[in-house]
Amino acid sequence: MMEALAYDFFRNALYAGLLASLICGVIGSLVVVNRIVFLAGGVAHASYGGVGLAFFLGLPVLPVTAGFSTLAALCMAWVTLFSRERADTVIGVLWAAGMALGIILLDLTPGYNSDLMSYLFGSILAVPDSDLWLMAGLSAAVLVLVALFSRGLLVMSFDVEFARSRGVPVRFLHFLLMGMTALCVVMVIRVVGLILVMALLTIPPFMAERRARSLPGMMLLAGCLSAVFCVAGLYLSYALDLTCGATIIAVACVGFVISLAVPQRRRPIAPAGAGPQGGEPVAAQIEGRVGA
Amino acid sequence: MGGVRVLEQVNLTLPRGDFLAVLGPNGGGKSTLLRLILGLLRPGGGQLRVLGAAPGQAGGRIGFLPQFTEVSANFPITVLGAVLMGLVRPGISWPRGRAARRREREAAMTALFRVGLAEHAERRLSDLSGGQRQRVFIARAIVSGPELLLLDEPTASVDGRSRQEFMALLAELNRDMTIVMVSHDMSTVDGCVKSIACVNRTLHHHDDSRLTPLIFAEATGADLVAGCPVELLAHGAVPHRVVLDHDNPDCCGGRHAHGPKAASAGSQEPEKGGRAS
Repeated sequence: MMEALAYDFFRNALYAGLLASLICGVIGSLVVVNRIVFLAGGVAHASYGGVGLAFFLGLPVLPVTAGFSTLAALCMAWVTLFSRERADTVIGVLWAAGMALGIILLDLTPGYNSDLMSYLFGSILAVPDSDLWLMAGLSAAVLVLVALFSRGLLVMSFDVEFARSRGVPVRFLHFLLMGMTALCVVMVIRVVGLILVMALLTIPPFMAERRARSLPGMMLLAGCLSAVFCVAGLYLSYALDLTCGATIIAVACVGFVISLAVPQRRRPIAPAGAGPQGGEPVAAQIEGRVGA
Repeated sequence: MGGVRVLEQVNLTLPRGDFLAVLGPNGGGKSTLLRLILGLLRPGGGQLRVLGAAPGQAGGRIGFLPQFTEVSANFPITVLGAVLMGLVRPGISWPRGRAARRREREAAMTALFRVGLAEHAERRLSDLSGGQRQRVFIARAIVSGPELLLLDEPTASVDGRSRQEFMALLAELNRDMTIVMVSHDMSTVDGCVKSIACVNRTLHHHDDSRLTPLIFAEATGADLVAGCPVELLAHGAVPHRVVLDHDNPDCCGGRHAHGPKAASAGSQEPEKGGRAS
């Protein structure tokens, strides 16, 4: 891997992977605890319309896709808030419509577009410096937003009903979260492609959720796991001559399976002999002891 | 929003220090009543005052325990972290300074001590039993020092033994604050509850809690639309004297002693006063 680092494109790939990890740790954690993975999937696929639009108009891809995805995300946020019972259907429609629009616009664009596949499956080895700067800027913006609204986001994520009863601006925060998810998706598209974006958004946060003791802790752990997957995936793809995006996700999936196999932390005050599976009786005993 | 009329002709004034159990069948409007008090829903008409203010304006003066099922069990949070959420202020919560965070921590520990879980402050919430978790949420509800505590089905997910402890805790809290508890579970009515409201589209308020026959009302799914469910039942197998004070004049044809409050006071929607008695 050391000799690979001599190449600019490989260093850029590493930077892009680490930036994507950082942002996926933060936004992925919020997506997972808010249970809006399907919404994030909808945004990721609808963003393909933005890619098509950028090619059609001959504009830079990342900014146009960012704008388009944000718009799609806000539409979906609006639907989930105001016509809740139809939300999943409408998101499915937007999901499909965005992709179809992207492909049709690419059809209408003169010339052969070799880049088409790269946005589906990622092109981490072809990240130019300008995209790297844009990614860094978006990451910084998202991090500042999350830090500023951290308390409201935490209370909303934990218990929407309680948050509303305390006057937390749940609607605003929901729109904000969806907007940030869109920006995050656009960034990660570069790295692993939009087909696989969901894996990086969900696998590390899922693994972190079971072990972290706070939401910021979960974000940090998810970010670190994500970084490990990205670096390991890049190395393996270089060593074994495999597709980068797919290799990163394969590594993440292996990590996911391992984390399922490793038992969770034991309950600290569980009586000896009671395994973690004996949940309810153990809990009842603890309860009795505390109350006594 | 142009929907179905869930509650009508509701007239309820609650004295300070009361412990009201709100009973009734599913879809009868119990949760709607709670949401109206919280200011999460707006009444279609009538007047509603909570602690002397418009609903939704009371902030931390109202403590709220939502239904248990709303909370994800795997959420990465400690017991202390969950209680601290009860100190969130309306609007955008900007990041706080160190001194403010220390004060909040102390308040949270005091609340945890009160519910008997201070020694578990640093544990993960998911490591606690259902009964313990409910007490954490009580701590979250009382950490802001509320005058009114609203509980939505607090004992639904708690087993029998923990339930007794839980109700004892509520009785203790009732010394400092008014409590309104929506419940399915008739066994909670025993003991600490001071008055009962039966909600099924309309509301009947009983200033007494000796209403054990109500258990049958839920079990049999009796037709509760015709009148007060308590009366329907109390006129059955159980002696009528369990119902001491009653506010529906049409209910028993005037054969029994009824309270002076008539349900036809003109208000279309719940009225909720925090006036001291």
